[in-house]
Formats: sequence, C-alpha cells, structure tokens
Amino acid sequence: MDLLFLFSRLSLQLLFKVILGATLAGMACSLIGVFVVHLKITAIGFSMSHAAFAGAALGLLINSYLSFDPLISASIFAIAVALLLGPMSEKTRLNPNVVLGIIFTLSLALGFIFLSFLPSGVVSSEAVQILWGSVFGLDWLDFLLLGLVNLAIVAIIIIFYKEFLATMFHRKVALAAGINVSFFNFLILFLTALTVSFTLKIVGALLVYALIVNPTSTVYQFAYDTKKIFIFSPVVGIISAIGGVLLSFMTNFPIGSSIIIVSSIIFVVSVIFSPKKRRGIVQQHQ
Amino acid sequence: MSFSSNTFLQALNPKLSEILNPRAEKALQEGSTDEIIVLDSATTVYEGERIPTIQDISLRVKKGEILFIIGPNGAGKTTLLETICGILPLREGSVEVFGLSTKKYGHQIRKRIGYVIQEMDFDPSEPFLVKDVVLIGRIGLIGVGKRVTKRDWEIVRASLEAVGMEAFWGRPIGKLSAGQQQKVMIASALAGEPEVLLLDEPFANLDINARHDIYQLLLKLNREAGVTILCVSHNLGIPPETDKVILMQNGRIIMNSEREKALTSPLYKAFIELSQAEKGVYNAAKTAQEK
Repeated sequence: MDLLFLFSRLSLQLLFKVILGATLAGMACSLIGVFVVHLKITAIGFSMSHAAFAGAALGLLINSYLSFDPLISASIFAIAVALLLGPMSEKTRLNPNVVLGIIFTLSLALGFIFLSFLPSGVVSSEAVQILWGSVFGLDWLDFLLLGLVNLAIVAIIIIFYKEFLATMFHRKVALAAGINVSFFNFLILFLTALTVSFTLKIVGALLVYALIVNPTSTVYQFAYDTKKIFIFSPVVGIISAIGGVLLSFMTNFPIGSSIIIVSSIIFVVSVIFSPKKRRGIVQQHQ
Repeated sequence: MSFSSNTFLQALNPKLSEILNPRAEKALQEGSTDEIIVLDSATTVYEGERIPTIQDISLRVKKGEILFIIGPNGAGKTTLLETICGILPLREGSVEVFGLSTKKYGHQIRKRIGYVIQEMDFDPSEPFLVKDVVLIGRIGLIGVGKRVTKRDWEIVRASLEAVGMEAFWGRPIGKLSAGQQQKVMIASALAGEPEVLLLDEPFANLDINARHDIYQLLLKLNREAGVTILCVSHNLGIPPETDKVILMQNGRIIMNSEREKALTSPLYKAFIELSQAEKGVYNAAKTAQEK
C-alpha cells in the first residue's frame, strides 16, 4: 500500500498518536536495553514481559466485571518478578536462569488461564492487543504515563550514570569502589519492569523483549563507548518502532510483530557491517 | 607515616600540587602505629559452598605497613583480600578496617580502599573507555549521584600518567594488551586516593621494567603518603621494603613474620621449593604440549 495513500486515510491526530506512541515505546525499551544487554540479563526481560502479560490478562478479567486498568496488574506482576528474583535464587540456591525459566512458563500458563475466563468479545479485542500490541487502543493518559516513564528513565540514567557505568563494567570492581551494587541492580530491574508494563499495549507482551534487546545489540556492533550506546540505542529504538508501525500499516501485520521485524533487519545489517565482527575475524586468523 | 589526601596526590603525581585540598592535611595528625586492619578468627564461605575458603584468620596490620601474601593456588589469598574489603560476607569472627566493622560499614570502608582484582580479561568489544574505567575507582569518593568535576578528571588523568598510560585516555579497554589493562586497573585503584591498597597479582601481566616502575610508584605512595599495602604476588619475590610476609595454605595463615625471619624460615623455604617444583612441572607440560 502506498504510504501517501495510507496517511491520507489517517486523521492527523491519529497519525500523531501513532508516531508518538512508537517513539516513546522505542525510546524507553532501548534505553533499558543498554542495561539488559550489557548485564546479560536478557532472560529477565523475557520473563518480566511474560509476567506483565499474565498481569494484564488478569487485569482484563477483573475489568470485564469491574472497571479496572490492566496496566496496574501488569505493572504489579512485572515488579513482583523484580522483587522476587533475587531472594528466590538465594533461598532455593538455584541459578537465576532456572528461576526465570519457571517464572516465564508459570506466567504464560497463568496468562492463558486468565484469558480463557474472559468473555469472548474481550478476548478478540483487548487480549489480542496485549499479546501483539496496538497503538489504536491507547488514550492520552497512556501516552502521559509512558512519557513520564521515559522522563524518569532518562533522569535516573543522567543522575546515576557513573554508578551504572561501574555496575555494568564489573560487579567486583564496582563493589570495591564502594558502590551499592545490589541497589543499582534492583533499580535496573525496577525500571525494566516499569518499561515492560507501560509499553505492553503498544508492542505486545510476546514481543516487547525484542524491542529491548535489538536496538542496543545493533549499536553494540559499532560503539566502544558506553555513553554513545546510551545515546544511539534510543535512536535505533525509535527508528525501529516508527518503521514497524509504518510496516504494520502497509501490510496489516500486528504492530508488535512489525516493529520486531524492522528492528531485527536493522540488527542483521549492523552485524554484517560491524567493525567489531570484522576485527574479531582478523584476530582469529592471526 | 599516616594518610593524607594531599600527600597521596603529590606522591602519585607532582603535577597535582596545584589542585590539592588543604583541608585534607588534618589527616596527618593521626598516629602512625594504629592498627588499620584487624581480623579476629575470620571465616568466610563462598555462596553455595559448605567448606570455608578462609578459616579462623586473625591478622593485624598497622598503618603504612607493606605486607606480601604468598601461598599456593587455592590457599585463600584472594578471599582474604575480599574479606578485608567486605565484598564477601563473614560466617564467623570479625573484620575491622579503619576501626569500622566490614559487616556494617562495608561501603564506607571500600570508599577508602583501592582494590586491584586478579587478572581481568576484557572482551575486545567491551564498550568501556580507559578514562571511564579509571574514574570508576574514584566514584566512591565523588559520592552517589554527585557530578564528576574537573578536579576528578584531573586526578583520573594524573593516575593514568603515574602508570604511564595517559596516551590511552580515550581508548577502549578491551583493545589493550593484558599488561596495559593491568596498569589501567592499578590507575583506577589509585584514582580513589586510597588509604589502603589491596593488590591481587598486580604484576602478573607486566614486563620486568613495568613491574619495577609500578613497584617504585607503590613504594613512593607508601613512603610519602602512608598508604598501607597488602599485595598478593608471585612475580616480585619479597622486596626488601616488605614489613611482613604472610604465608597461607588451605585457607589458613601458616606463617606471619617479619621479612627477615620469614625468608629464613623452613616453611618459606618449603613453599619456594614447592613453587619451583610446580613451575618445573608446568613448564615441562607446556613444552610437551607445544611439541
């Protein structure tokens, strides 16, 4: 479908909403992605997004009887993962990835159980939106909240940049420098939970994880400076999100899927042209 | 010799004399024979392990002393350093540094300690610049959420100059050689103006000249700024300036003597013979593998 034709069919307000929603989601997810990718806690992002999905499904169930915003229960579930992960791993003496695997499958199971109890009309609209994402169901309050989440993330990164830098560099070195690593790790988990919950409606529970990981992984192919990764990851995230929305309009694919397709293509291209990869090959041959 | 921020910075790099903080001079009033590190029957167990890595360790270190900690692999040398700076929780006993318990005041203590951890092998794609890595060593001193000032960057630069790495200021750490990375980590520990330096194999990747230069720098910081030094090393022998030699085995201190006594003790001789035998076996295995 021709983009100009498409835009002529959309009202200016709707177009603005679409672009704004994609920009805010792309920015928040990719900023959080810098932590998630560097600390190699991608499994946490994955489990958290599915916990948020279970929470949102429960919220929808409650909403079908009482007036209730599923975003609240989605946030509670995602934050619960952030709160439970550390103590659960310590108490059970299990590798955190094992605990995350259990949380992930349990969340998925709970989510589908909650969805199965929804009246059929709700399942076909809102539930699908939570699973696959859409910007059409967003109201201005959603945009405001997502905007505030973005502001909070940016402010926290600016204020505690050096502490995050140390935490991401090396746990033991950061501890030795007198940094409360546990606090900053929890702050990262908390911000991840918040981001996942608030972008759920746009990108969808099953795919929000990829918007967290892909943009940062793309920038990693070129950058050697953490500051540059923090600056350029949101740029790639926003491009991926807007590109995905346009792809969705042209193809009628779900928005979440389209965003992930675009961000994955950008990532593959970045890997092909990555100077780091080329150097790695040279080193191996030497 | 007691610790003073000003004398530390002057010893680290004379160029810093222009930005020294006059208020720090009051630290010089403190006595020079105070016990700065006190371990009483300290036992540490790694998370998930049952057998203690170090057991029933009692140790007293005075301000300005230089201690060399030696022992075979797995003796508990690194664990001892991590216990002193409070990174590892104690199972039994107590550890006090600067008169503060590591259990309660770990973060505050670590702000006054420089710790160079054992061999770090950075991935060449690591997105961390040398200047940022050195700054990390100073973060505790700057304060949580506080802005990095021009003075902080000057001290970061001076620390890099002191170890001869100023030319690598904006380079990614992963692209440096192991020896250069080692020097950056030493600069990072120095940037925090530490009163105590815990060095875990700081000379492991350095060539003979670099070992000499870094050791002379450490000695200068000890002599002029009163920095207490605890060093785990296999690469330097026991330098004449060493006050005490600690020999560890199976998580326990089996010898804690002044240098002269230690060098003539049968335990030390046995350890050296064992190390040389181990080295011989290692070299023979390496040669066989190469063939």
